[in-house]
Amino acid sequence: MKKFIKKGFLLLIPAVMLSVWSCKEEFLEQDPLGQLSDSDVQTKLGAEELVIGAYAMLDGVFNGNGPGQWSASGTNWVYGSVAGGDAHKGSNQGDQSDINPIERYEYNATNPYFNAKWQAVYQGVGRANAAIRAINGLDEEAISAADKKSLLAQAIFLRGHYHFEAKRMWNKIPYVDETVTYAEGNYNVPNTLPDAEIWAKIQADFQHAYDNLDGTLAAPYNQIGRVNKWAAGAYLGKVLLYQGKHGEAKAVFDQVIANGTDATGDKYKLAPQFHYNFNVAFENGAGYDGTESVFAIQASLAGGVYLDANYDLILNGPAGPGAPGCCGFFQPSFELANSYRVSPGGLPLTPAEYNGAQKLVTDFGIESNQAFTPDAGPLDPRLDWTVGRRGIPYLDYGINPGNSWVRDRSNAGPYASIKHIHYKGELGETAGGASWGEPINALNYNLIRFADVLLMAAECEMEAGDPNVALGYVNQIRLRASNPDGFVKTLDGSAPAANYVISQYAAGSFADKTFGVNAIRFERKLELAMEGHRFFDLVRWGIAGEVLNAYIAVENQYINTLDGASFDEPTDNYYPIPQTQIDLQNGALEQNR
Amino acid sequence: MSKVTLFCLLCSYSLESFSQALAANYPQMSKDKSQAAKPMFGKYLEIPVKGRVIGEDGSGLPGVSVVVKGTTIGTVTDVDGNYSLNVPDENSVLSFSFIGYLTEEVTVGSQTTIDINLALDVTSLSEVVVTGYQTQNRRSITGAVSTVAAKDLVAIPQGNVEQQLQGRVAGVTVITSGAPGAASQVRVRGFGSFTGNQPLYIIDGVPYNGAANISWLNSNDIETTTILKDAATASVYGSRAAAGVIVYTTKKGKAGKFNVTYDGSYGTQVPGKSYDILNPTEQMEATRQAFVNSGTSTEDFDHFQYGQNGDWQLPDYILVGDLYGVRQSDITGTPRPGYETAAAKFNTPVNYDFSKGGIYQIYGANKSGTDWFDELTNPAPIQNHTLGLSGGSETARYYVGLGHYNQQGIVKHSYFNRTSLRANTEFNIKNRVRIGENMTFVFRKDPGFNNLNEGSALSHAYRMNPLIPVYDVTGTGYAGTFAKGFNNPRNPIAIQDRNKDNSANALTLFGNVYGEVDILKGLTFRSSFGGYMNYFQGQGITQREYENSENIGTVQIFESFANFNGWTFTNTLNFTKEFGIHEINALGGIESIHDGFGRQVNASGVSPFTISLPYRSVNTTQSSGRGAFSSGAPGTRLYSLFVKADYTLNRKYLLSATVRRDGSSAFGPEERFGIFPAVSAGWMLSEESFLQNVAFVDMFKIRAGWGRMGNQTNVGFENQFNLYTTSPTTASYDIGGTNSTLAEGLLISSLANPAGRWETNETVNAGFDATLLNGTLDVNLDWYNKKTTDLLFRPELPAVVGVVGISPAVNIGSMKNSGIDLQIIKRGSIGELTYSADVIFQTYKNEITKIADNVPFFSNSIDGSGVGSSRIGSGFTRNQVGHSVSEFFGYEVEGLYQTPEEVNDPNHVQEGAGLGRFKYKDVNNDGKITPDDRTFFGNPNPDFTYGLTIKLGYKGFDFETSFYGVQGADIINYTRWFTDFYPGFPGAAMSNDALYNSWTPTNTGAKTPILENVSNFSTNKEANSYYMENGSYLRNRNLQIGYNLPAGIASKIGMERAKIYIQGTNLFTITKYKGLDPGVSGVDTNFGIDYGNYPVVRQFLVGLSLGL
Repeated sequence: MKKFIKKGFLLLIPAVMLSVWSCKEEFLEQDPLGQLSDSDVQTKLGAEELVIGAYAMLDGVFNGNGPGQWSASGTNWVYGSVAGGDAHKGSNQGDQSDINPIERYEYNATNPYFNAKWQAVYQGVGRANAAIRAINGLDEEAISAADKKSLLAQAIFLRGHYHFEAKRMWNKIPYVDETVTYAEGNYNVPNTLPDAEIWAKIQADFQHAYDNLDGTLAAPYNQIGRVNKWAAGAYLGKVLLYQGKHGEAKAVFDQVIANGTDATGDKYKLAPQFHYNFNVAFENGAGYDGTESVFAIQASLAGGVYLDANYDLILNGPAGPGAPGCCGFFQPSFELANSYRVSPGGLPLTPAEYNGAQKLVTDFGIESNQAFTPDAGPLDPRLDWTVGRRGIPYLDYGINPGNSWVRDRSNAGPYASIKHIHYKGELGETAGGASWGEPINALNYNLIRFADVLLMAAECEMEAGDPNVALGYVNQIRLRASNPDGFVKTLDGSAPAANYVISQYAAGSFADKTFGVNAIRFERKLELAMEGHRFFDLVRWGIAGEVLNAYIAVENQYINTLDGASFDEPTDNYYPIPQTQIDLQNGALEQNR
Repeated sequence: MSKVTLFCLLCSYSLESFSQALAANYPQMSKDKSQAAKPMFGKYLEIPVKGRVIGEDGSGLPGVSVVVKGTTIGTVTDVDGNYSLNVPDENSVLSFSFIGYLTEEVTVGSQTTIDINLALDVTSLSEVVVTGYQTQNRRSITGAVSTVAAKDLVAIPQGNVEQQLQGRVAGVTVITSGAPGAASQVRVRGFGSFTGNQPLYIIDGVPYNGAANISWLNSNDIETTTILKDAATASVYGSRAAAGVIVYTTKKGKAGKFNVTYDGSYGTQVPGKSYDILNPTEQMEATRQAFVNSGTSTEDFDHFQYGQNGDWQLPDYILVGDLYGVRQSDITGTPRPGYETAAAKFNTPVNYDFSKGGIYQIYGANKSGTDWFDELTNPAPIQNHTLGLSGGSETARYYVGLGHYNQQGIVKHSYFNRTSLRANTEFNIKNRVRIGENMTFVFRKDPGFNNLNEGSALSHAYRMNPLIPVYDVTGTGYAGTFAKGFNNPRNPIAIQDRNKDNSANALTLFGNVYGEVDILKGLTFRSSFGGYMNYFQGQGITQREYENSENIGTVQIFESFANFNGWTFTNTLNFTKEFGIHEINALGGIESIHDGFGRQVNASGVSPFTISLPYRSVNTTQSSGRGAFSSGAPGTRLYSLFVKADYTLNRKYLLSATVRRDGSSAFGPEERFGIFPAVSAGWMLSEESFLQNVAFVDMFKIRAGWGRMGNQTNVGFENQFNLYTTSPTTASYDIGGTNSTLAEGLLISSLANPAGRWETNETVNAGFDATLLNGTLDVNLDWYNKKTTDLLFRPELPAVVGVVGISPAVNIGSMKNSGIDLQIIKRGSIGELTYSADVIFQTYKNEITKIADNVPFFSNSIDGSGVGSSRIGSGFTRNQVGHSVSEFFGYEVEGLYQTPEEVNDPNHVQEGAGLGRFKYKDVNNDGKITPDDRTFFGNPNPDFTYGLTIKLGYKGFDFETSFYGVQGADIINYTRWFTDFYPGFPGAAMSNDALYNSWTPTNTGAKTPILENVSNFSTNKEANSYYMENGSYLRNRNLQIGYNLPAGIASKIGMERAKIYIQGTNLFTITKYKGLDPGVSGVDTNFGIDYGNYPVVRQFLVGLSLGL
């Protein structure tokens, strides 16, 4: 008996061991939980959602907790507006102090802001390419030819957009197409292509989109947020304009102006009132005939998902009791505010005039609880939709109290940004809910709006067309701005909040080319201020040094923030390529300066 | 002893626990004469015999068993070595035995007092050590192993058993904060990898991932603790052993008498020093200086609180409605311009309750200053109780432990609370088969503390201006930075109060069932199935705020539920045989593991109807804003085969070899299996004739080993795949322009590296163990050199790959670690005073030898984002080839600019240079300061750490004290960025250094830069050496005085033993570090940076230890 037990045990042990052994191959195979693999997304739905993923990078927010929030904003509020002299960083010296050297044109390749922006745009490129690969991999059974063509062209448009962003930031950039992947190991793309070749590739993407997209998109892609033929046309024109190809650009702009619609077929035209562009109730052309929005970042406040609700702009509201919050960044400059001074006849003045004797009266140095009377002189009505200032109603928040809404006026002056701020009445609906105060909202940011198209077309007409047509475009914009229904009103709504005067340029006055060119450029400044364009415009016009050094001198009369700063042309025309990326690409990238 | 070893394979006895064990095993040794003696020996002469047993050093030996040979009459000696018992007759032979000593036998004869000297049995230093799948005699071990006695493991009441290893074990570094229940940074012999350096915990044979918090384990339930430090001992755990293995076994019942033990302590913890912050008047003066030094003219001296145009004084009210800086005279006298409405506003009813309408508050000014740290902290109670019940028979044994630990933190509303039940049983079935189980069931309440984070309440305590009172004029509403002029810190008391009902509870079931069969003599089969289930449930609220400058505007309620599990199935065969001069111990096994699988669900909602506590649930939030998320972890599976063989020849020559083959689901099919061998040898020199006659050497063994271990803890099996995920925040997009709904989008969440494989760690270890001077001195010394290759690293990919922040782990890096572990124990006695001193010393040197091709370094975070949580962009640490992990990198401050000539020196061009600002060292001597001049200026890795434990015994009294020291570790005191520089957050609290020790034209010797409102490269924008402080410290960890009731008195009150003690922990710390506590941890590639550290504080306790 004893023996038997012994034997039994001896047999049992190998049996247990073998049974464990036999299942080991399957035992070590595991599948991911709650995630999709390559084969899962190789479907029509997968391709469509990858395209949505590529759209989702438009706002620049790619990481909830790391960089890529305000530093990589798709609105370019730092790189276009702060650097362009529209505004100061704002807040106080120490907060987000990486913006300080950008504001002072003291570029450092190790500044994490540049790396974040680079990461954001190439993440956009990468998502577009992932979509392109997936779409290209779909056969006829998987997707109809028409749907495939439309999806592909949208993805290629987006790839063009992200590259264009990179091009104007850094000039010498790698162009990355869909053949570049981690698995292939071919990702060390250099930035040494000749300038014309990079432009050609970007231009080709928009050309492809322009040629292959319909004006009105067919179902299931007939959604207002999608890019269509005319958005592609407007962008193609912009890319041509940046290359100085005014004639080619004009031809495209002509088509866009004559025939352009959004993806649902709504005609491009100027909104009847300037401020409709900054009001969620009128975005995408809602509430008026036609639409001014050509290509927008569609913001959304969906059930607590605040990263899609302009989180990149969350710092930028005025701070203080009764203010929308949160942090007092992005304060319009003295120079910008002064620019809205007009002659008694309602036309712009020269910088010497508006920054000199006729400069805007401000509450700088005056406390909120001390008396102040706002400027009574003639002003362009767009001022108070662009610059929040003491004594003027600030949306529906009541009268702007001045300094109590300013974090540190010695750092950035007395003004508040306003264009991207929501109305107080929107709280709980299309605004509110983030962790510091309530500065997030669902207000779209227009990457291109029709006024921008008209002004770009006007430039082309001046160079390669008819100055009278150019003047007509500019006057359309001024005419719209002069609509008294669109003026900021006193609190009781009975009268304009300030002495608003604006008129059109006299017929034929653009025959003087210098005058015309300058008028168009100044109109761009007034119309598109605080919208992320200014710096890139100055650089492409070749006047950044002159304009920005003059701007610094103006600001230095008030605050110390730019003391000792200067813009070195052409070195400072482009931001330095992030040192991190140069290091990571191991010699493939060369610094642009 | 061999029988006992076999009998209880997983048990082991350390010297300290042996006496209890023995007492438990032999109930007939009871001191209770009436019961032990009478029933069996009804009529005989009872001869009382007493005496004292002393060791070779002359000190009393406690716990020695004294048995009348051939009978069951016996007793054990008390703490002083005294014994007394009655023997049947004069022919009785008393046998004195004690582990590690030669047994003595004495015939009683006519003696009534028998004193005995026991001699050390050096040939059978028979401490039994649990070394993994087996137990081994200490003598036969050829690798680096440390043990911690059960008694030492509970010396200090602490929520987390791993904290007890601090200063106890040579080769183990423990950095811990004072946050109740918090996990510590435990590292065995430095760092072998960039991540995944936490040791593997094995509890009763079941592995538990060291990255998870082990705070569920009640240290009072632990019987043995073994730390396997080198490959020779740890490589039997193969691919998970690279960072060392800590093996715990829990208490077992012993056949014999039913034992009841109670161990408990109760005490208080007191907050220590506060932050070094200016008082309100000084704060105003500091602001004035910053203005002056920034060139602001007096007429522009405007401040929301102090006044306008240079007319400055401390206000009486910092907030009255929407007026700031209100003076009493504005209310009751003639108001200043702008304050005409002050009186009316002062008389307006105050409201801070959102449900009652608009917020309207009045904050008085606390001119004497609010000590925010003091307000935030309070003396807090701590208590710890364990009841142990054990006993059983030869066929069934049990241990039941019931524990309760409750530690309130010194920071308001921080706590850790654990209730545990342990039930270990073992049964013999016939003679050859044993089955048993070890099981614990634990409930924890552990809300955690957001330590080392600038957003924590502790950090806000050094940021809040002291002029702000804690409460508004009602005494119940909070006051804060809503009053302008103080920037954006948050009221830390409000933070803790509002979160006080947030809870995080965990339920842990951990244990195993096992069976053992003695197949042949010396051949045992063992099968064990064990595992754990962790269930977590948390709920909380983010409340609406009104008192801050950046208020949270929406109430959010969130709730989460998660479970994580693992199981291990182990089958081993163990063969032990001695024949002639040969001793063989062989082990073979098969093991399957599935670790870390589970799921979790999170839900949240906003704007509930009310925040009243019983109403709080996601269901009661606004119906449109609710969100729910779920995710899961599939865990990692391992399938392993291993063999180990130990051979001893002639008790002199020791040889050991191990091989383990692991297959892991973490890797693709091509790279799935890894082989991890180890060999080691020892030579018992003291057995050789040339040492036999050297009197002072009792035992001397030299040993050396080599082995290979693996690491896979820092990679998941997802590494094999390209994966895509949806993400509402970064992949979805409102393509329809709805403003309120999102179209689903996809993004790449994981890039594939199908070729990923194990990190390989090769360790060489050499050392010796010596017992000298008649067993009174032990010396253990180990030298090691660890080389890790194929280090899994996620090199940041260039952005052009198109996927930011995601990169697959690739086997590319390498690292070296070498060091020395030393332990010296001296025991002895002077008269009736017994003493022991236990010294440990350890040092490691870590060097990164490769990170990745063309990656010479990476910054503080390894996820590719390159940005730490500091407000200084590049962060403070850099992990670079040729340096150790987490070294401090940045500009080295040469001094402060003293003269305009220096500022304008064309040979030292520095952006933002100015008088009194940082002057950085021109490291490359090119005449200008550029990023190339950044350099390594400090290192948080210590030069060495050490521990000292002293125990004294005198009659019934015992005294114990232990010290822990760290030498040569640097700390970045990041709090200085906030308190020493004005422009970071103007209006927030400032330090004394900023005002009194900063540079001025007359205080040119200052270290702190000029106080000014400028933020640039030369002031507060760069990581530089200014923030670094010496983090060396020596801490008295424990001081305890106890009194053991004499056996006679104890038995009178029904006790077998009774001890009462008083204890103080962390009584003093000697350090130059100016922050709250120099024990600053962090992640392995970014530690030693003090963002506001929860301090380890003094505790004063009374305790009781009873046995009956």
